[in-house]
Order: sequence, then C-alpha cells, then structure tokens
Amino acid sequence: MLRFLIQFKNGLNRVLEGVLILLMGLLVLDVLWQVASRYLLRRPSSWTDELATLLIIWVAMLGASVAFIRQSHLGVDYFVGKLPPRARVWSELVVYALVGFFAGAVLLFGGIQLVSLTLLTNQVSPALGVKMGHVYLALPVSGVFIVVFAVEAFLERLASLRAGSKEASR
Amino acid sequence: MNSPMLVLVLLFCGLLALNVPVAVAIGLSTLATAALAMGSFEIAAATIAQRMATGVYSFSLLAIPFFILSGLLMGQGGIARRLTDLATALVGRFPGGLAQVNVLSCMLFGAVSGSAAAAVSSIGGFIVPEMQRQKYNREFSVALTVTGATTGLLIPPSNIMIVYALVSGGAVSITALFLAGIVPGIVVGLLLMLTAAVLCRRHGYGERVVLPWSATWRAFRRAFLSLLLVAIVLGGILSGAFTATEAAAIAVAYSFVLSVVIYREVKPRDLPGILLQAGVTTAVVFFLIATSMAMSWILTLEEIPQAIGAGLTGLTDNPLLLLLLINLLLLAAGTFMDMTPAVLIFTPIFWPVVQKLGMDPVHFGIMLIANLCIGLCTPPVGTCLFVGCGVGKTSIAKVTPATLPFFVAMTVGLLLITYVPGLSLWLPALLGMK
Repeated sequence: MLRFLIQFKNGLNRVLEGVLILLMGLLVLDVLWQVASRYLLRRPSSWTDELATLLIIWVAMLGASVAFIRQSHLGVDYFVGKLPPRARVWSELVVYALVGFFAGAVLLFGGIQLVSLTLLTNQVSPALGVKMGHVYLALPVSGVFIVVFAVEAFLERLASLRAGSKEASR
Repeated sequence: MNSPMLVLVLLFCGLLALNVPVAVAIGLSTLATAALAMGSFEIAAATIAQRMATGVYSFSLLAIPFFILSGLLMGQGGIARRLTDLATALVGRFPGGLAQVNVLSCMLFGAVSGSAAAAVSSIGGFIVPEMQRQKYNREFSVALTVTGATTGLLIPPSNIMIVYALVSGGAVSITALFLAGIVPGIVVGLLLMLTAAVLCRRHGYGERVVLPWSATWRAFRRAFLSLLLVAIVLGGILSGAFTATEAAAIAVAYSFVLSVVIYREVKPRDLPGILLQAGVTTAVVFFLIATSMAMSWILTLEEIPQAIGAGLTGLTDNPLLLLLLINLLLLAAGTFMDMTPAVLIFTPIFWPVVQKLGMDPVHFGIMLIANLCIGLCTPPVGTCLFVGCGVGKTSIAKVTPATLPFFVAMTVGLLLITYVPGLSLWLPALLGMK
C-alpha cells in the first residue's frame, strides 16, 4: 500500500514538474509578445496581461505542491534540530498532519466554496472570457495534491518509526 | 490585545518553532483567528482561500518570477563571473582586496537581478572558495557575502520593492522606489567595504590585487554586455518605455541570449531544469505572499493597525523616538520572519503611524527594506544566512559571531537611511518622480 503510494507520488511529481516548466515557458513568451506587439506591430495586444495573471495563479499553486515534495518551503529547523532523533520524527509527523490539514481545509474545502460561489456570480475575465471560477480551480486542485503528498510523507515517517522501534525491542 | 489576536500570535510562534513551513504557519494561525472572529469555520476557510487567490492575481507581481529566472540564467551563464572580474580590476587594489571585490560584485549583481539569495549563491559560489585560497577566514568570507548580498535588495531592480508597491495599494510607484533605493544601497555597500577593510588590516587577511590599466579595460569590455542589462532594465522602466514586469521579461530574454548564444555557458538542454527551478522558487515566494495577504486581511479586520498606532503614539509623540521604536520592532520581527511576509504584514500595521508622522511612503519603504535586510542574515529565519552557509560549507552557529561587525555597519546604514530622508528622496525628486 505504502509502496504504491510512493510510486503514485513520484509519478504525479514528474507530471507536475513538466506542467510547471510548460507554464513558466508560456509566461515568458506571453509577456515578451506583449512588448513585441506594442513596439513592433504597434498594435498592443489586449489579452496578454490577462493570460499572464491567469497563468501565475496556476504556477503558484501547482509549484507550491512541487515545493512541498522537495521541501523547498522555508521553515525554522533550529529547535527541532536539538531534539533526539525519535522525537524529531514525531515532530515531523505533526508537521505533515498540519500541512495536510491546512491544504484540506483552506485550499480544498475553502477553494471549492470559492470556485462554486464565483461560478454562481458568472464572473468572466474581460478580454479572454474565461470564467474566473475555473481560474480559481487552481486552489482545490493543488489542495488535493498537497494532501496526497502530506499523507504519503506521514505514512512513510510512521513506517520508519515502527521499523525503528522493532529494531530497538530486539 | 483581544483574544483572537492572542491566539494568532501564540499559534504562529508555536507552529514556527515546530518547523511547520512558514507559509502554512501563517495560513493556519490566520484560519484559527478568522474562525474565532467570524464564528464560522466554513466562512473563514472560504474567505482565506479567496484572499489567497486574489492576493497573487496581479500583473505587477509577475516581475518576480522573471527576475528569479534571469537571476538563475545570469548565475549559471557566466555573467556573475564577468561582474566579479570587473570588480577585481576596480577595487582589488584596496586593503582586503578580495573582500572588497566580494561586496562590489554583490552590488553589481544586485543591479542586474532582483533577489539577494541569488547573489549569495552565484557570487558566493566561487568567491568564497577563492577567498579561502588566499587564507581569508571561512566564516568571515561567508558573513561578508551574506551581508553584502542584501545591498542588492536596495539597488534596483528589487523583488521586495515590487511587493511593497503592491501592498501600498498604489500609493507608491515601483519606479520611484527603484530610484530611491540606489543611494541607500551604495551607502550600505560602502559601509560594509569600510568594515571589511578595517577587519582585514587587523587580522592581516588577503593580498591586494593590482591589475595594470590594460587588464582593467579588458575586464570592463568583457563585462560590458552584462552591464548593458542594467541600462536596458532601469532605463526602460525609468523612461516609461515598459513596465517593471515587461522589463523583467526583457531581462530574461537578454540573459538568455547572453548565456546561451553569446557566452555559451548554458546549454539548451539545461533550460527545462532552470525553468523548473525558477518555477518552484516562484511558487515558494507566491505561496508566502498568498497566505501573508490573508493574514494582513485578518489583522486589518481586527483593527490591529489602529491599536498598534495608538499604542505607539501613546508612548511618545517625538517623531525621532517613534521611528526608533518602529525600527526596533521591525528588527525583532525580522529575525524570525522572512522578508516578504514581513513587508506584507507590517506595512499596513505601521501605515497609520507613518501617515501621522507625515513620512513619505517611498522613504518608509526604503527604511523598511533596509531594516529587514538585517533580519535576512540572522538566525533563526535568515534566508541569506541559510544559503550562505550552504554555499560556504559551514554552520550557522559558526558564521553568526562573524556577522556581528557587519551588523554594526548595516545598523549605521539603517540609522542614516531613517534619519536622512534625502538619501532616499533626492534621486527620485531630481528626476521628477513626485
């Protein structure tokens, strides 16, 4: 079960990384096109800044879930660094539970409410006509990913804790 | 302090101590406070999700991923090394030759990129081993790089100024901030160089590097195309030819051409990796911005800025003392908060006091940034310090004592910036920005 979850996480991570690279590339081309269209074609493009802001929400949210796997988010490891090894694993269990709870409560649960409320108001982006509710889907989608990653990391630490205590009892 | 606020502060500190990611610690303490204040967990969760989404929905914030991306291209593409060669030719002849080169390189790199951590890793990555070879103390070299790199946040372009302009709600223009940061950035840099010179003389570190004029000229020519980037980015923004975001995208295109086509130090197959790294770094910053915007909202809802403003002005009505108090509070906050959330959370908190004092918001922004730069180099949360220790292969406990003399220099710089508004406001006024 845990092995399957680890494989699933690694696969999902690779897909997300690919999407992130694609979105970042698009973002650069989009804004360069905005400058080029204004100076070279003398006809400023009307949709480029809107597309860029739509892209950045997805970069931020999907990227944040990749950052959770890579443990790139900033934290204060000073105090837990002073704990004995087993207590440190316990503190990690708590951290993953809290990360999972936050992603589930705010990004997933709060995000779904945000999406459905925005879809009800039928708000659309002015130039591209994209429904804003669909743009905000970035939150619940990345919420699901972060919950998956947090559960996987939690179970992995739990397994290592069990293996450790078996070793100690021998 | 009312009870939801007490929950916020205690929960936030507890979560940080537990090594919960800072962005999640901000988000969770905001969620608890909002649920208490609004009396509904559901509404609190939905509102925070909304604040997070709208918090990063901004075209001007887009300059940040682009400056991160161009910083990576410049670090790996030989631009950083050319700037260091130029710095060697210019200041290598002074006492503590390489130490001077270190600070000037950080300042030059700051003028082509928007982040301090990028300067620490790209400049420190090869100058710290170089200083090691010349028998400089390792901790001294790392401490100097870490503090020197923060000048890049005052010298434009600067990502943190874009964040400040965002939270000021349009009261401050990015262009005026960029101009205002130039002189203070140079002042702090010169103070660090002076400190380094004194320390090097006392400990007998380093040799002077005196190059003939022909070599100086050659170094300048080799660095010319890299320096041209400064002219394009700043010139473009200041003349109104393009916005900060567009300038940042042009910086990406320019550093791409320079490092891939002209210097050929970045291979096309390296590009996906660089885009990915830029994407992850961007997401880390934006996730922090998103949750900080939510916390900033709940603080305003609970009327904390007014309470703190009243508290501060109740203590004293002397403007000089008030500014000192604000600086002390910010220094304390800066030690355990990263710069981006600190700017987003503390700007609205101090805004009423600053307005009462009649302080120019541009001047306040520069002071705020100069102050929080010190926090970037202190434990427990100091992004520059972390990166520097990684690059220099040493520990935070060893580097921290070595940073003390440079903190003195930065504090002197901060006091000058605080009490001499002209340092920040002279250049924007000269060029007709307000």
